[in-house]
Parts: sequence; structure tokens; C-alpha cells
Amino acid sequence: MSGPERGLERDRGASLIMAIGFVVLIGAIAAGLSAMVTSSNFNRISLAGVRDRQYAADGAVEEAITSVRFLDRTGDGSCEASAGASTSELNQLRIRVDWENVCGVVRTETGELVAQRNVVFSACFDLGAPCTEDEVIVRAQVNFEQATTGDVTRTYVQSWSVLQ
Amino acid sequence: MEIVLTVMIIGITITALVSGLASVAGAGNAHRVGVESDTVLRNASEALKSAARECTAGASLRTDLVVPAGFVVAFSPDDTSCPDVRDSRRIEVSVVAPGGVRQAITVVVRTP
Repeated sequence: MSGPERGLERDRGASLIMAIGFVVLIGAIAAGLSAMVTSSNFNRISLAGVRDRQYAADGAVEEAITSVRFLDRTGDGSCEASAGASTSELNQLRIRVDWENVCGVVRTETGELVAQRNVVFSACFDLGAPCTEDEVIVRAQVNFEQATTGDVTRTYVQSWSVLQ
Repeated sequence: MEIVLTVMIIGITITALVSGLASVAGAGNAHRVGVESDTVLRNASEALKSAARECTAGASLRTDLVVPAGFVVAFSPDDTSCPDVRDSRRIEVSVVAPGGVRQAITVVVRTP
């Protein structure tokens, strides 16, 4: 066997090995790109779920505020009444809202003591039981301004926290 | 023979790579449109809620909303009056993105 023929014999299969290396490299790049696209889409879907949950809880609290506004001042709506709950279905989610009175007293500039009817609302997924602290999605404190007739003239949102 | 086989393997791999890159570009574009839709949807919802905060019963409920070109925002029901204090109102806010993809959420507004 002459010198050039020995060289050819030695290089046999080299191009196939190079081709396999190329396939492996391209495969790794494709897998990386695929993982990136899958993960970004998965994150977007998760964030859309969070958005739906937060707006559902937000809406449920708004509906609860409207209900509490018209409760009987001498009964369920009085400061002596401890608490209540309501449920709403929004954005295909069932949300429970627990509310409790946190009435306070303030002194006016003229020295009169005035009762402040404040209510704290806590919204969570409706699991058939009161919201626990770590389940609360939205918590809000609302002040119900009351006329001497007993009617609520306006509501003031004192705090509104989105917790998850 | 070996060279022919190598050229075939590399050809198929490059074809697969090019079509894969095209798919990734398409998915990236869909992702971008989806994220933009989400932003437009949240902006529209917040504009609606903000408008409701200034409501008095029976007054008009007007939202100052700038919608990016190509997006269509709709409110359903499209009632432009503030709700009565006794009734909170559920409004479905929807956004149709360029390409026809639709996202929607329901928000609740009430007269304070």
C-alpha cells in the first residue's frame, strides 16, 4: 500500500463522525431553544392565572362591600355584629369573602366622640371554610360613612392589599 | 458513499434546524402578542375601576384609555353610566390582539 492510500485508509469514517458531532450539536441547540420557548409560555400562562385570581378576588370584595353597605344597622350591620361571609364566582373561580367589623371611635375637632364603622374584608378561594391567613388573596379595610338617618352615604377604601 | 451519507445527514439536520428556528420565532411572536394583550387588558380593567372610583349614581362612567394600534378593547355590557349604589356591576373586559387572539376577564365596579 502506497503512502497516500494509507492516509485515505486512516481517514475513513472521519466525515461520518463529524456529521454525528454536528447532529448532536444541533440537537443540543434545538433542545435549549425548545426549553426556553416552553418555559416562557408556561410562565405567561401562570401569570394569566394569577391575574384572573387577583381580579376575581378584587371583584368579590367589591360585591361584598355593596352587600355589607346595606346590612341592617341594628342587626348584622351593627358594630356589635362580629362577622359574616359571602361567595362570588368570577373568572371561573369561586371566591369566598369573610368580613369582620373593626369599628373604632374618633374625637372630632369639637370634642365629640364619633363611631367609625370600619370593616375588614378578606378574600380567598372558597374551600367551604373561613379564609386562613396564608390563603388570603386580597384584604381590604373599608370605612362606611353614615348619615344621621343611618344610611351609608359613601364608602372609603382605607387599605387594599393584594397578598398573592 | 461515505461523503454522500455525510452530506445527507448534514442536509437533513440543517433542514430540521431551520424549521425549528422558524417555529421558535413563531412561538416567540405569539408570546410577545400574548404579553402585550395582557398589558392592554390590565390597563383597560384598571382604567374602568379608576373611573368607577369617581362615580356618583347615574353619572357617566367614562374611561380614558389609549389602546395600542392593532388591539381592540371591548366592555360588556357596554353601559356608560355609573351603577346604582345598591348594585355592583360585573363587566367583562376583552382584548383582541392582532392575529385574532382574545383574552378576557371580568371586573366588578361599584359606586362608592
